[in-house]
Amino acid sequence: MAAPAVTARLELGDIQGLVARGYADLVAARYLLLAVDDPTACRRWLASLVDRLTDAATRPDRTALNLAFTSAGLATIGLPEGALAQFSHEFVTGMTDANRQRILGDTEESAPERWSWGGPGTPAVHAVLMLFAVDDAALSALCAVEEAALAAAGVSVVRRLDTTNLDGVEHFGFRDGISQPIVEGLSKTGSAPPGTVVRAGEFVLGYPNEYGLLTDRPLLEPAADPGGLLPRDAGGSGQRDLGRNGSYLVFRQLAQDVRGFWQFLDGVAQRSGGGAQARTALAAKMVGRWPSGASLVLAPEADDPALAERNDFAYHAEDELGYACPLGAHVRRANPRDSLDPSPGTEKSLAINRRHRILRRGREYGPALPQEQALEPAPPDDPERGIYFICLNANLARQFEFVQHTWVNNHKFAGLYDDADPLVGPRCPHGATFTMPAHPVRRRITGLPRFVTTRGGAYFFLPGIRAVRYLASLDAG
Amino acid sequence: MTEQSAVTLVADVIPGREQALAQVLAELGRDPARNEVVPFGALHDVHYARLVTVEPTVLPNGRPVLGKLVYMADVDGPADRHLVRLVSLAGARLDRVFGHCVDYPVGRRATQPGRLAFLRARQVPAAATYVNTTGRTVHEIRREARLRDAIEEFLDRGGDWSRARPAEVREAIRRFVAGDRSLSWATAPRKSPGVVARVRAALDLVPLPLALLAVFPLVLLVLPFYLALLRRAELTDAAPIVRPDPRRVDALAALEDRVAQNQFTAIGYLKPGLLRQVTARTILYLANWGVRHIFNHADLTGVKTIHFARWVFLDGGRRLIFGSNYDGSLEAYMDDFIDKVSWGLNAVFSNGVGYPRTNWLVLDGAKDELAFKYFIRNHQLPTQVWYAAYDDVTALNAENNARIRDGLAGDLDEAATTAWLRRL
Repeated sequence: MAAPAVTARLELGDIQGLVARGYADLVAARYLLLAVDDPTACRRWLASLVDRLTDAATRPDRTALNLAFTSAGLATIGLPEGALAQFSHEFVTGMTDANRQRILGDTEESAPERWSWGGPGTPAVHAVLMLFAVDDAALSALCAVEEAALAAAGVSVVRRLDTTNLDGVEHFGFRDGISQPIVEGLSKTGSAPPGTVVRAGEFVLGYPNEYGLLTDRPLLEPAADPGGLLPRDAGGSGQRDLGRNGSYLVFRQLAQDVRGFWQFLDGVAQRSGGGAQARTALAAKMVGRWPSGASLVLAPEADDPALAERNDFAYHAEDELGYACPLGAHVRRANPRDSLDPSPGTEKSLAINRRHRILRRGREYGPALPQEQALEPAPPDDPERGIYFICLNANLARQFEFVQHTWVNNHKFAGLYDDADPLVGPRCPHGATFTMPAHPVRRRITGLPRFVTTRGGAYFFLPGIRAVRYLASLDAG
Repeated sequence: MTEQSAVTLVADVIPGREQALAQVLAELGRDPARNEVVPFGALHDVHYARLVTVEPTVLPNGRPVLGKLVYMADVDGPADRHLVRLVSLAGARLDRVFGHCVDYPVGRRATQPGRLAFLRARQVPAAATYVNTTGRTVHEIRREARLRDAIEEFLDRGGDWSRARPAEVREAIRRFVAGDRSLSWATAPRKSPGVVARVRAALDLVPLPLALLAVFPLVLLVLPFYLALLRRAELTDAAPIVRPDPRRVDALAALEDRVAQNQFTAIGYLKPGLLRQVTARTILYLANWGVRHIFNHADLTGVKTIHFARWVFLDGGRRLIFGSNYDGSLEAYMDDFIDKVSWGLNAVFSNGVGYPRTNWLVLDGAKDELAFKYFIRNHQLPTQVWYAAYDDVTALNAENNARIRDGLAGDLDEAATTAWLRRL
């Protein structure tokens, strides 16, 4: 069933800007993890902050500011239990829930007990304030102002997460963030390949999703909103919609073992008599793209920076068997495009894929480490480096968690056996493999170590601007 | 060919013994393959087995019913042979489980024949069953998985094959398999279903279409009245959207995502009245025929992750219990239901109380995504004991392994050889 052609008119002025854009021009960013000590003072701070939050209608050229809450945070500032319980179960129980750890692969070295924040042994996180600026000086100035306001409101900064600008390349050395869903009402949809425009309700609550339905969201009795601050439920229930124009924000600190990655691949390449080129080619097979970003489907033999921006390709139609881009490659499993059952290569397949998309907004942290240097042994004080993985979606279970569990971490993905994501996946107890279809028979890497470890994380809710105003107005009494 | 059977036993639980039974089940559940009561791992005919309790309740007609202990197993060969094996393996230890049930033999009657007679008398036929691949035994699935692993390791040891021709690679694999005494069985071609099995399948296939043909005029006559009744029911049946209790969701989720497969057990009331009773039974009858003859090989209209499933009526058709074994997560399973087989689910489950509103029996219903997912969780039962015989082999893996084995025997041309090598 194709989504109707009508474009949802998004209330851009009520949607936080991070939904509409990743602020690529604002190259400096810092995330402040916050804990609320005094709910009353915190609500006063919120009331003044709300006018400084960046909305989706404006394209900021110097600084931007966005705010999201954990479920513990919403409870602490005074949202009643009944309202909180209407948020999604995944959000309410949180990222570190025992069952969720299996879904997300947060076990063993990635277990929440070992996290540096967000885990059971670290201080509670109630909110994240995300600050973006055009340069470091502007970011420092913005932080100084905001941190002073926080201190005055009895909101403590649990942790400052500083980012590194690697010019759109992630630490393993690959262009990142190329393939984002094209969102109806947010993106330019004119040149989008057929079947790839995703309905706004997949990312913003209160609008029709890919099923043509409104995803569940917290609805309040009109009496709970005496000031009339909240929008009416678009579903026509007469209730007030606390979720409208909001989105669930997934935040994960993922450490990347850049040395481990390149040294492992170097060993594999050397055993088959290859050098630097073979090493990079193996890495590209695992990623599914070349360092420039060019897809292996379009450039099967060698990198071609001219193809870096091309995202209009399909897997089933162009490389069904994975000879160019292996079925288990990272980008092919994170977004399988037209290769899903029951009818790969058709609109039906694309329609199923559209129900499992996420908007990625992450940034890197830690110092860059070029490939050649990564082959050197680690110095004793080698700093941690990785990505602050941030994504937005309306249904955590069907979007972020599904992608993570059924596609990325699943060693049985696409009929495979022991192949979890070669780049970011956890490893099966009996050994992880990476299978590369080839002539006359597959090539296979065995004994893959884990290259990415979860170091922290939480589920947040990124409310609409009016919802923030409502939260500021809550009376704890 | 050994056909699989769906064994279902339903026993009433003695009032007051529910707690004690739950404790024994918890003990079994901790290690279903090797526990001291019923070590399912020792039963080589069992693909999957489960024990689930259903709480005592009062039926909508006011009749109280006892709690039930439900045993479900997917086994190779006849159901009765499985019961005999179960009794001979577990013997008196079975008493610790079924001893909490009404009419279980005690004292001098607690003999092997007594136990067997009890189990036999508790058998309930399934209204419909689904088998991923008819005739594929536990033994085959396990040894074909080992075969595939061994071939993969052989290829790994061989290093660089890139300069070899496809036929050379296949020949090397064949030599390896033939030369390994634990694998050489695989060089013999698989036995095709015998004449008897094929005749039996044909005999099973024919009656339904013939009967449908015969009653077709009558169906045409009745259809408008049926549809009118159905529409009236669909428009007026309550379809409340009830979010499941978070504690219930957590308790169910705690039993999931531990191995490559998951179990699913759910129970619900049928809507009262003849219309729903007739509809549910007819659809399940048709479904049972359809999965035996059309969807009998690794693909249920695009869903390739279900190993076994069954529907069983309880309490004289007032309730329906459903059990399945599938690959991957419940979220993916539910999405498959919605995206690929919602029409089929709707036709069966819309006769159940609380199901999301359907139109013309097969439309909408499960397409109301969250309402459907809540319905699923609200009706799901915790599967206290669940045994899976090959818990790291997905249905897709089992199918691929079987094809790998089949490709070892006989002559293949270059294209077929290349296609066969792609399975590795």
